[in-house]
Amino acid sequence: MKNLYIMLFSGMVLLLASCANDKSNYDYAPKENISITGLEPNYTVISEKDRLVIDPVVSTTDPDAQLEYLWGIYETNVQGYAPVLDTLAKTKKLDYAVKQPAKGWVLVLRVTNKNTRYAQYFTSGINIVTEFTRGWYVAKDDGVQTDLDLFLTPTSLVPSSVRENVYSFINGNKIDGKAKIMNFFSSYKSIVTGTLGNTKTLVLVTDKDISAMNINTLKPIRTFNTLFFEPPAVKSPDYAFYGSQAYYVINDGQCHAIYNMSSNDGRFGARKMKDDLNTPYHLSKYFIGSSYSDPYFFDETSSSFLSMSMGYGPVMTAINDETGTTMSAKNNNKTVLFLGFKSATYIPAPTYAYNTVGFAVFQDKTNPALKILSELACVTTKIKITNDTLKTTDKIYNATNYTLLNGDENIIYFSVGNQIWSRNLSSKSEILQFTIPAGEELTFIRHKKYTETGYAYNYVMIGTKSGANYKVRMFNKSSGSLETTPAITLEGKGIVRDVMYMSPTVNEGTYGSTY
Amino acid sequence: MKTLKYLVIVMAVFAIASCKKDQYYLYNDVARLQFGPDPARIYQTSYNLADTLKPYTFYYEDATVKEDTVFFDIYAIGGISKIDRTFTLAQEQLPNALNATSGTHYVPFTDPRVSKFYVIKANTVHTKVPVILLRDASLKTTTPKLKFKVVADANFQVGEINNLWRKVEFTDRLSQPAAWNASFTQYYFGKYSVVKHQFMINTTGDKWDQTFIEAVYADLSLLQYYIAVVKAALIDYNNANPGNPLKDENGELVILP
Repeated sequence: MKNLYIMLFSGMVLLLASCANDKSNYDYAPKENISITGLEPNYTVISEKDRLVIDPVVSTTDPDAQLEYLWGIYETNVQGYAPVLDTLAKTKKLDYAVKQPAKGWVLVLRVTNKNTRYAQYFTSGINIVTEFTRGWYVAKDDGVQTDLDLFLTPTSLVPSSVRENVYSFINGNKIDGKAKIMNFFSSYKSIVTGTLGNTKTLVLVTDKDISAMNINTLKPIRTFNTLFFEPPAVKSPDYAFYGSQAYYVINDGQCHAIYNMSSNDGRFGARKMKDDLNTPYHLSKYFIGSSYSDPYFFDETSSSFLSMSMGYGPVMTAINDETGTTMSAKNNNKTVLFLGFKSATYIPAPTYAYNTVGFAVFQDKTNPALKILSELACVTTKIKITNDTLKTTDKIYNATNYTLLNGDENIIYFSVGNQIWSRNLSSKSEILQFTIPAGEELTFIRHKKYTETGYAYNYVMIGTKSGANYKVRMFNKSSGSLETTPAITLEGKGIVRDVMYMSPTVNEGTYGSTY
Repeated sequence: MKTLKYLVIVMAVFAIASCKKDQYYLYNDVARLQFGPDPARIYQTSYNLADTLKPYTFYYEDATVKEDTVFFDIYAIGGISKIDRTFTLAQEQLPNALNATSGTHYVPFTDPRVSKFYVIKANTVHTKVPVILLRDASLKTTTPKLKFKVVADANFQVGEINNLWRKVEFTDRLSQPAAWNASFTQYYFGKYSVVKHQFMINTTGDKWDQTFIEAVYADLSLLQYYIAVVKAALIDYNNANPGNPLKDENGELVILP
């Protein structure tokens, strides 16, 4: 009897525990699917001018479906706040006058079956642009003041027209000083839209000023006097660039930075110290920089390489020698005639860092006749230098302008007088590539490339001046050598110093940042 | 066997009867009063004990300033009332410390200048408690402490024991602002000293008082700027005084981490 009670009791407990609602799905109908055609992956429209007109063809596997639509848009590349989906329409056909500020957006279409409440989302990238967000920008000066020419390229890389002196036309004034270099910041912080946010910014550096301008309007966000928490006493900008989470400005050979992964308002901090003794230093105008890694500077005072970890902290990082180096990265008694970025290759575990390769032309301080072409393999805080002592008969021995082929052939271009030469960095062979016509004088050479569909290019740019006019010949390469005639030639008034192709998809990692 | 059956039934009844939700003490029996953090922080448990101690200094004020007011947040619990309810505060003596003297260092809690504000207004549960500090000459050389507490009266019983008191440490000398807290010490400017504080003021031309530090603390890039400026100035000072680096009032080397 006792066993019977125990068994009954246990059985009831099990019965109770086994009671559960059957929530299984016995609907064997195929999964509903809504599909559309007529919605492109990307659209490019001009703010306050274009309309987005899209009438997609919608189909669904539910023959009884009653569909409802919702179009919305949200912005990309935001920091510090969550983007909000703005409703544009609740009709199948979208017909919307674009008024959002120029930047990247995402268009969202939600199609909902009212019968089943099943909804499916479709998206497109929307590049909202202005007349200033596409074209060839030319930084030029008259020896005293700087301006920009903008060559408009509505359908291809070949300019259809030019807006001469566009900076002064928009702002009513030119920029003091001779133009030096342009760079682009995608996430520079400003309040140009009324809210602190990432702003696409073209930074033009002259020898007397800096203009960080909103690329949508070409209006300056900050100039030298407002670019720092406290403007440096000496106004002598060298360059401004982006490198691994930070923006940098080098002024009078001194390093200033913004660590861009934390809150900031776009102002650069105090001068970085070289070391804990605040030893004086002066950085060369040449450096190795890219978006992949921290920059590698060269201190002309001590002939030593320095770096800066993400622009953070008051003291710079001393660079040490990697095993096998043929010359020390510290106190090597050299000056740099040129130093630039060549390529970057990621090294996986356990290093988790980029091997950033650059090349330098060194000149010995004690024996100026000694010139060395060196390869620099930079990984975190160490550099391995591999030297190639130049012979006086080498063309590059007497070079005055240099440019490396960013990520391309192992070749350096340089000028000797009015001749543009190349030197194969592996075989050391030197080839005359181009002779500048009589009457013209070289002002810069630079290699730039870009991969946007329909606007891709890979040019060696040769800038010259002739009287009051400039000419920029942009050559395609074939196996590292220039083609006989330039693909595009830009011409205008002034002395050209730099050229950059701008488009809505250019970002701060698109181009190399070095001279 | 019958016994076993009854036993099982009785145990089941007891087991069911014993299931009862624990009754937390909700302080809703009578009106009670206690201090608390700023109203914006009352639902953030990490701020439960915020503002228990407020340092204050007359150091930055013009010589004509003879008194200043420090405010604390106080809360009624147990619900609102349709009428205004006064409350009572009183000083509590701290053992082995320089206690503030009523009438000399602060306006007494019974003085109408302050006691008229010790009221929880009708239909509210919160008010700011003003404590008027007096700039006595002794503050040039001392830092008295004023600890005060909620006293039960006809309107309010005391609330939770940990929230019944507040403390002010005040002086007329340069002193450590509350914002120079453990985090500020560990990650940015290091251990507090009056010498370091004065050096920062001299270097930057800024006050480095509570308001200024709070503003700087809210902007990391600005904070980094000031760290760089002060650090460079300290290094330059030490370089200019070889063998005699900057030392604080305790003889320790002034260091910025």
